[in-house]
Amino acid sequence: MIPLTFANVGEKVCIKKIKGKDETRRFLGNLGFVENGEIIIVSDNGGNLIVNVKNTRVAISREMANKIIVA
Amino acid sequence: MSIKIALAGNPNSGKTTLFNALTGSNQFVGNWPGVTVEKKEGKIKGYSAKNDEVILVDLPGIYSLSPYTLEEVVSRNFLLDEKPNAIINIIDGSNLERNLYLTTQLVELGIPVIAAVNMMDVIKKNGDKLNTERLSKELGCEVVEISALRSEGIDVLAEKAVRIAKSGKKMVAQHSFDGSVEHALAHIEEAVLHDMPDDEQRFLAIKLFERDDKVIERLNLDSKIVSHIETDIKNCEDELDDDSESIITSERYAYIASIIGSCYTKKSRGKLTVTDKIDKVVTNRWLALPIFAIVMIIVYYVSVTTVGTWATDWANDGVFGDGWHLFGIGSSQYEDAANEYAEKEIFLPEVKTALEGANEAGITGADELLTAVEEKDFGAFEEAYGSYGEELAVKEGGKFDITPMLPLDENGEFADTPDPAEYGVWVPGIPVLVESGLNAVNCADWLQGLILDGVVAGVGAVLGFVPQMLVLFIFLAFLESCGYMARIAFIMDRIFRKFGLSGKSFIPMLIGSGCGVPGIMASRTIENERDRRMTIMTTTFIPCGAKLPIIALISAALFGGTWWVAPSAYFLGIAAIIVSGIMLKKTKMFSGDPAPFVMELPAYHLPTIGNILRSMWERASSFIKKAGTIILLSSIIIWAGSCFGFVDGSFAFSADMELENSILGTIGNAICWIFAPIGFGNIKAAIATIMGLVAKEEVVGVFGVLDFEGMTRLAGYAFLAFNLLCAPCFAAIGAIRREMNNPKWTAFAIAYQCVFAYAVALMIYQIGSVFTGGLNIIGLIAAILVAVFLIYMLVKPYKSADKLTIKAKIKA
Repeated sequence: MIPLTFANVGEKVCIKKIKGKDETRRFLGNLGFVENGEIIIVSDNGGNLIVNVKNTRVAISREMANKIIVA
Repeated sequence: MSIKIALAGNPNSGKTTLFNALTGSNQFVGNWPGVTVEKKEGKIKGYSAKNDEVILVDLPGIYSLSPYTLEEVVSRNFLLDEKPNAIINIIDGSNLERNLYLTTQLVELGIPVIAAVNMMDVIKKNGDKLNTERLSKELGCEVVEISALRSEGIDVLAEKAVRIAKSGKKMVAQHSFDGSVEHALAHIEEAVLHDMPDDEQRFLAIKLFERDDKVIERLNLDSKIVSHIETDIKNCEDELDDDSESIITSERYAYIASIIGSCYTKKSRGKLTVTDKIDKVVTNRWLALPIFAIVMIIVYYVSVTTVGTWATDWANDGVFGDGWHLFGIGSSQYEDAANEYAEKEIFLPEVKTALEGANEAGITGADELLTAVEEKDFGAFEEAYGSYGEELAVKEGGKFDITPMLPLDENGEFADTPDPAEYGVWVPGIPVLVESGLNAVNCADWLQGLILDGVVAGVGAVLGFVPQMLVLFIFLAFLESCGYMARIAFIMDRIFRKFGLSGKSFIPMLIGSGCGVPGIMASRTIENERDRRMTIMTTTFIPCGAKLPIIALISAALFGGTWWVAPSAYFLGIAAIIVSGIMLKKTKMFSGDPAPFVMELPAYHLPTIGNILRSMWERASSFIKKAGTIILLSSIIIWAGSCFGFVDGSFAFSADMELENSILGTIGNAICWIFAPIGFGNIKAAIATIMGLVAKEEVVGVFGVLDFEGMTRLAGYAFLAFNLLCAPCFAAIGAIRREMNNPKWTAFAIAYQCVFAYAVALMIYQIGSVFTGGLNIIGLIAAILVAVFLIYMLVKPYKSADKLTIKAKIKA
């Protein structure tokens, strides 16, 4: 169980938990970040990530990525 | 009977393209999520007959029907309040799973839904297979395959949508949630919603289960009932060990996952798509910024220095000047003739000697004149003489006055010069045409003055920048529609976050360096209201195209063209944005965490030429419209102000009114004390600053080079700083008003800009005076107080707001 920021580029990981305020979680949920969903990290720009979730590319900031716990 | 159909879908799923295809209208389509913020209406082609018209409403792109963003609120309110006869749900077929998430919510509303699976051509190309019949059965609504870009399947979609809308058959959602959720929903329906229409109950029950404040408010629920259903929700949450909203979200995705396997067969393809590969390079930790810098340098080099300069010169000196040679035919012959004439008549040995002497005496402009003579360039000489001729005549007791040596006519123009119209294909400029037209009809002098000096000159000065802007807009439209713009926001976010702005603020500033009006309009893509307001307020600090002449003038007249003046203006603008960002974030109005950056990145694709041109035109035309209205009006007022005035105590009109006597001069005289503490308390500078409100380049129009006589370099730089940072031109103020959509915020933005500009200029002038020996104790104390306040605001710790209340005023 690690935050998404620690995962490697190109790795496929599974979301275990999403922390943070309701608002944040809701927004991430609407974009397809749900527990047990899979994501692939496409690119890492100093902690800000581009990930592939449900077949779309989403850019998220480091703060957000830290709230997503993956395994 | 007229029918209303709503068009809903995820951002960037091709909604606007489909809207254009269905209605035949010309909305701009950007490959940038969130291009549509307001909803747009149009009539479906083939259904526009009066008694049988079908109105299509293009809703903003949304990911869900939660009340999280402005777009979602606009869309949801529309669907709930106006109850369209049907919803066309556009689905990006290459991204089915995420798009169906919204579909599962739309079908709960009870309104008939037709799903249009877009980008079928991409799906087929990838070798994937979609079983539409199966999907239709699972969702319980019609599914149509389309390709909006290629206009495939549009007619079928329109026909089916209209049929469904007319049938009035209510939609019943096919999916169900986990047993315990359904149990709670049933309870809620029974307790609260039993007297509502059946088809509306489901959606509201789910929203109440999610504890959606807006729905609770909407239904006007009693607190007793709320606490009653709260127990049901709590029980369910305990059972599933999650909060109610997450339960619903997960359930929806679980449902989608369960049906998608049977409807969609994905061909296993290589690991990375082309877009992923490009992203790996352009958003790479080390390469991202250099690549971005190179792209920007190319864009600016082409649009500002090469093609842009050529275009601006043509527009200013040709179309709104004397005229121009069509396709350059005859230009070189004319130049040869002119240079030959100059060599015979003007570049005489005595002129050269006088200029050499003047140059040695250090008279401003003498070096430029001398260079022109040495290079035998008549054009350059004529221009330089216009600027510096008077200076030569008066300096050093007129020792180096070259005017008597030159072949001038009674108007002070060079006599018997070759006429450019006699060479090649000559197209006269608009002022020339208008003037000859007015002469032909024996127009009164004052009217001629109004039309030529007021309208044509004023509006022309602004329109002269249009060609350059068009070039810049083409580049920006390309970057936007190919998908790179969204990446720029991502790359810049890391840097912008440090001073309280989002990466998305960068785009408006980038565009603002061309012209502030489209720059301010571009701030629309920022969802977070505070970030958007802050961006609107700070965008015009970046020197726009019209401010360049001011910079050039000050740098040439007072600093002898030193290299650092122009770059320093840009740094001043950037510093103003950073300082303002940090300071404003600490005020109550802007406090709170910066909105977390989450943004969908569209796949790269080659934009169509039509789309690029449409985007360019949309931006440019709004600028031209401004020039046609507000700038036209202010040009007339300014012209009147400068031509009417009091001469010897009586009100009079004269086209050559001395500035000091005119109404404008009187006003300038009355207010120039305001500018005294920042170094330019003279009438002309005051008037120039007012004129700058019409259009920034008007500042230059007021000043000839000589007028800086008596102004120190320091005062000049303070003048520059003030004019760069203070309230922008009327056109940009209009744009601010439109985007703020609130008079108070507009006033605050303008006031902030003026006060900030004044503070900066005060510090520059007063603190600078200490070193140049013009020390003024009171002024210095004031400047130091301002500086201390600024530093205090910069280092003061952030006050985090406990709760953020966003009041969104939505014009639906």
